[in-house]
Amino acid sequence: AVLCISGGLPKPTNITFLSINMRNILQWSPPEGLQGAEVTYTVQYFIYGQKKWLNKSECRNINRTCCDLSVETSDYEHQYYAKVRAIWETNCSKWAETGRFYPFLETQIGPPGIALTTDEKSISIVLMAPEKWKRNPEDSSLSMQQIYSNLKYNVSVYNTKSNRTWSQCVTNHTLVLGWLEPDTLYCVHVVSFVPGPPRLAQPSEKHCVRTLKDQTSALKV
Amino acid sequence: GLRRCLISMDIHHIEEAFQEIKKTIQAKDTFQNVTILSTSETLHSIKPLDVCCMTKNLLAFYVDKVFKDHRELNPQILRKISSIANSFLYMQKALQQCQEQMQCHCRDEATNATRIIHDNYDQLEVRAAAIKSLGELDIFLAWIDKNNQGTSA
Repeated sequence: AVLCISGGLPKPTNITFLSINMRNILQWSPPEGLQGAEVTYTVQYFIYGQKKWLNKSECRNINRTCCDLSVETSDYEHQYYAKVRAIWETNCSKWAETGRFYPFLETQIGPPGIALTTDEKSISIVLMAPEKWKRNPEDSSLSMQQIYSNLKYNVSVYNTKSNRTWSQCVTNHTLVLGWLEPDTLYCVHVVSFVPGPPRLAQPSEKHCVRTLKDQTSALKV
Repeated sequence: GLRRCLISMDIHHIEEAFQEIKKTIQAKDTFQNVTILSTSETLHSIKPLDVCCMTKNLLAFYVDKVFKDHRELNPQILRKISSIANSFLYMQKALQQCQEQMQCHCRDEATNATRIIHDNYDQLEVRAAAIKSLGELDIFLAWIDKNNQGTSA
């Protein structure tokens, strides 16, 4: 461990977990007044109910102001704390600590995958549930639906011609929007959510598709 | 399972009430190396058949012990805790009907898990135990919510 005068520096600030689909990143801001200085940081984490603070070796004496603790906090039904301190030359700050972090209740649910197909007057939407973060790409996938069986989607549809938007909440993964206008560009975006304590949401990108021209009017010409 | 017994109970408004005081309550709990609910030995091992009994036991634990032992000076926090306590009393009444309809059997698994929780509580000074138990309400509520709409992974 680095020998330094503890408390010689102000603590890092704004220490929080940014969690999306159980990918849990600890992030913080440099201590007040030390932006730009050659400050390094060291992170430790704690599993609530266990006995001691644990080191995160990849986040010892680092320059960046974030640390991926997804592996260490992967049991989403446990609770955790994390702390970080700043080191500059022979001085170091006291630890700055997070509140109790509960991934199961606090992770943001990422947007689903979206596939759109269309005909003249309808659009078919197929949603693919977001996946839980995994350490290695070749690891088996776990859908967030398997963790949150009450996962729902808020589907918003925007008619670019009439400038009207409407939304509907669905639980299943396919829905058909009917009674649409032919030859019209519609844009869709979807937000996943889990009923329960409020949590931040990650909206999807906008997906746009144009309904086909009305074949019957084409034939009359 | 629990669904038949608590169908009318909206857990989410209790979760929201707790969410508003959670950070303050948990910050008062300075013993990070001890838990009361010890989920891996208790709640996580409860089978669907024992959910009703475990819920009944834990509601009683909170109503008869935690809420009574806790002392709170902040009126806003006190109001939230009282609203949560009232919701727990309502859930106890709902479970009472299940009890009468013989749908709330208590097997050893639930009884043993409940004893672990009470033992954990009794090992701490009473005020510290009460504040820690309150700080773990999100665990209990998430467990009820999860068991209320079927099992998931």
